[in-house]
Amino acid sequence: MRKGLSGVITLILLTFLISACSGGNTATSTNTNQTPATNDGTTASTEIKDGGNLIIGVAADPVILNPNYAGDRVSLTIDQALYAPLFQVNDGKKTFYLADSLTLSEDNLTYTLKLKSGLTWHDGEKLTADDVVFTIDSILDEKQNSMLRANLFIGDKPVKAVKVDDLTVEFKLPQVSPAFEATLVQVFPIPKHIFENETDLEKSTKNANPVGSGPFKFKEYKAGEYVTLERFDNYFGGKPHLDSVTYRIAKDTNAANLALQSGEINIKYLDPQDVGTIEASNNFEILPYSEGRLSYLLFNANSDRGALAKKEVRQALSLALSRDEIIQAAYSSSEYADPAKSFLTPDALFYTNDVPSFDNDVEKAKELLQSAGVSDLKLRLIVSSGNKAQEAISLYVQQKLKAIGAEVELQNMDASAYGQKFSDMNSTDFELAIAGYIMGYDPDAYRILYTSTADSNYSHYNNAEVDKLFNEGAGEADVTKRGEIYKKIQEIIADDAPIYPIANTKTIVAVSKNYGGLEEAVLKPVVIFEDLSKIYLK
Amino acid sequence: MRQLIVRRLLQTLPMLFFVSVVCFAMIKLAPGDPVLSFVTPNMHADDIERIRHNLGLDKPAYIQYLIWIKEILQGNFGYSLVNHQPVLDQILERLPATAGLMGSAIGLAVLLAIPLGLIAGANRNRWVDKLINFLSYVGISVPLFWLAILLMYLFAIKLHLLPIMGMRTIGVESAFDVFKHGILPCTVLAFGFLAGYVRYIRSSTIGQLKEEYVQIQYAFGSNKTTILFRHVMKHVLLPVITLLGMSMGDLVAGAIVTETVFSWPGIGSLGMTAVKGMDYPVIMGITLFSSLMLIIGNLVADILYSFVDPRIKLTR
Repeated sequence: MRKGLSGVITLILLTFLISACSGGNTATSTNTNQTPATNDGTTASTEIKDGGNLIIGVAADPVILNPNYAGDRVSLTIDQALYAPLFQVNDGKKTFYLADSLTLSEDNLTYTLKLKSGLTWHDGEKLTADDVVFTIDSILDEKQNSMLRANLFIGDKPVKAVKVDDLTVEFKLPQVSPAFEATLVQVFPIPKHIFENETDLEKSTKNANPVGSGPFKFKEYKAGEYVTLERFDNYFGGKPHLDSVTYRIAKDTNAANLALQSGEINIKYLDPQDVGTIEASNNFEILPYSEGRLSYLLFNANSDRGALAKKEVRQALSLALSRDEIIQAAYSSSEYADPAKSFLTPDALFYTNDVPSFDNDVEKAKELLQSAGVSDLKLRLIVSSGNKAQEAISLYVQQKLKAIGAEVELQNMDASAYGQKFSDMNSTDFELAIAGYIMGYDPDAYRILYTSTADSNYSHYNNAEVDKLFNEGAGEADVTKRGEIYKKIQEIIADDAPIYPIANTKTIVAVSKNYGGLEEAVLKPVVIFEDLSKIYLK
Repeated sequence: MRQLIVRRLLQTLPMLFFVSVVCFAMIKLAPGDPVLSFVTPNMHADDIERIRHNLGLDKPAYIQYLIWIKEILQGNFGYSLVNHQPVLDQILERLPATAGLMGSAIGLAVLLAIPLGLIAGANRNRWVDKLINFLSYVGISVPLFWLAILLMYLFAIKLHLLPIMGMRTIGVESAFDVFKHGILPCTVLAFGFLAGYVRYIRSSTIGQLKEEYVQIQYAFGSNKTTILFRHVMKHVLLPVITLLGMSMGDLVAGAIVTETVFSWPGIGSLGMTAVKGMDYPVIMGITLFSSLMLIIGNLVADILYSFVDPRIKLTR
C-alpha cells in the first residue's frame, strides 16, 4: 500500500511486532474471506444510527501525531483518522479523499492534482493547494528529517510541487515514474497555517495538539492511557456516525484480550492462538485479512563462512524445506498463511506465483550440494527470541536441514539485538535469519531490498540483470511492458533464491458485533480501517 | 545533626555518579541501536546518518556520557530520542500515577503485615504460624502477572465489579473512578510486598518475645494479646521504618510488570518502552530519579530512627 509505511513495518517486524502475525494453535473456523470487501461485517437490514463511541486497543503510546514523522503502527493508525489522505488505492483502484482527481500529462512527467472544493481543517481554516505544497516542501527539506523524504526522490532528484491555483497542484517529476502514485498515497497534508513559523516540525509543540482534516479531530491524549478523537462535523466525506473514537493503550496482550471481553476495548488485533477463546464468546466478528506481508528465510551471502554465495547451495537449502510443513508448525493453520513463492506479495501490481520454486525435495537437494562440491555445511540462524512464529520456524529449519547434512546453530537474541544484527549491512556472522516485510503495492518499492547497491539489500543479492530490470521497471510508463519486466524479475529472483519465501501471513482483527459499517470502512494493512467515519454503533 | 545530614547528602553525589556510569555503560554495551526504532529501511543511508549525527549518536560513548552529565549538572535531563519530549516532563507527568499506586500498595502491605507477622511470631511453629508462613511462600512464588490476570478474570469478566484497563474510564475525571481502577493493581502489588514484610516482622517479634520486659509483663499478669499489641508492637515497628525507607526507590521506579499488565500509566511502563527502544536519556533519567529517592529514603529512615529510638545515634 504505502511505501514508507512498508519500510516502517519491515522495521517494526524486525523488532517487536511480529506477534500480530505470529503462529499459534487452536485455529478454529473463522471467516476466511480474503478481500476486505467481502467481509460480512454488516447486515444490510440494520438501520444506520448516529452517536456512540468506539474504543480501539493499541499496543503502545503513539510516538508523534504528525504524518510526516509517523513510523510506528500506533501513530499511523491514529493519523489515519486524524488526517485525511489525498487518495488511497485498494486492489489497484483509487478512492479519492482530499483529492478530486489526479491526471498524468502526455509526457508522463507531470501529475496534476485537483483538490475537492470547500475543504477545511479541524480548526475551520481552509485547506488549499498551499497546504499540499507546504507538506511536500517540508518533507523534502533535509533539516526537517521527515521519514518520507527518500520517497520523494526519483533517481537522485526531488519531485517538485507547484501551486497552480487554490485547488490545483502540479507535481513535476525529474523522470518518468509510475511508482510515484504509490508515494502520493502516503502523503497526508499537514496545515501550513499551524506549522509555517516552526523551525523544527518534528519537535514542535504544535504536535501535542494536532490539527488535521480527517473524520475525527483531536480531543485529548493522556500519556500511557489513551488518545481520544471526536467527530469532525465538516468532514468532506459526510458527518461521521460515531461521536468519538478512543485508542486505548494496552501493552499486555492477555490483559487486553480480557478487556476486549469485558467491553473496555471494542476492536483489537488477535494472535491466531487467541481466536478460539474470543470467538467462543460469540460477541465478536473475527476478521482475518492480508496485510501484504511476506514471511521468509533470509540467506546472507555476505557471511564470513561464504557458504551461501553459491546459488546452488541456496537452492539446495530451499529444497530441504517444505512451506506447508512450516505453515503448520508456525501458523498452525493454512487459514492464516498462504504459501508464497514470489518475493512480491499478492497485493502488489504484477504479482505472480508462477515462478520457479524450490520446495520439499530432499534427494534433489543432496544432489545439488554434491554437484556444488559442498559438504559439512555449518550455518548460524539468528532468531528474535520471544517471537513464537520465528522460534517455531527456527526449530523446524534446524531439524530439516540436518537431513541434507547441514548443521544449524540457533542464535536466539532479544528483539533489539536481532534488529541491529539483521539490518547491519556489514554483519558477516550469520548465514540464515527469519524475517518478514510489508512493502506496499508498487513493485518498485522492493528495489531497496534486491538491487546490488541498495541500503537494505540484507541478503547481499547481486545480479546485474535484476538491477537493470528494476531500473527499467521504475521508468516504464507502459503498463503491459512494465508488467513483463516485473514478471521477469520475479522469475529471476525466485531462481537465484536470495531468500526462501515462506508464506503470506494474515492479520486477524476482532471487532465487537455492536458495530456496523465495517465493509464500507475497508480493512487496511497496518492502520486497521481506512475510513472510520463509516463505522456506526448498531 | 544538621552537619551530619549535609555530610550524608554530599555522600550521595559520588554514589549517584557511580550509578549513572554503570547504567550508561550497560545501555551502551547492550546490543541494539536506538536509531533503529525510528528509521525505516526506505530512508536513504545519508538521511539516517544525518539523524544519527543530530542526536549525537555518532560520537563515541564516553563523549555521549560527558555531554549527558554536563547537561544533568545544569539540571537538564535531556530529550527522549524517540518522541523528542523532555525527559523530566515525562517522568513528572507519570510520577503521580506511580507514587499513588506504590504508596497505597506499600501502605496496604504494611497494615496487613503487622498483625499477621505479630500473630505468626507469637504462635511460633503452631498451625497459625505455619499457615501464614505457607501463604508467604505462596506470595513470593506466585508470578504477579499471573495473579493479575486471575483477578481480572474473576472481578471484571465473571463478577463485572471492577475495570481492567488503565487508571480512568475514558473521559471521566473523578477520584472514585481512579480508586476503582486502582483496586486490582494495588492488591496485586501489595500481595507481592506482603510476603517479605510478614517474614521480617515475624522474626523481629520472635526476638522481642525473648526480652525481659515481656517476662515482666507476664509476671504482672498481662494477657498475651495486650503484651503483643501494646508493648511488643512498638518495638517491632522500628525496623518497619527501615523497610519503608528502602521502599522509597520502588515508589518512583514503579512496578514494571504490574503497570504493564494493568496499563497503569506510570513510570514502570515508561521505563519498559524506553528500554525496548534503547532510549537512553529516558532510562538514565528514571534510574537517576529512583536512586536518588532510594538514597533519600534511607537517610530519612535513619533520621527518624534517631528520633523514635534515642538509643540509636546517627554515627559515621
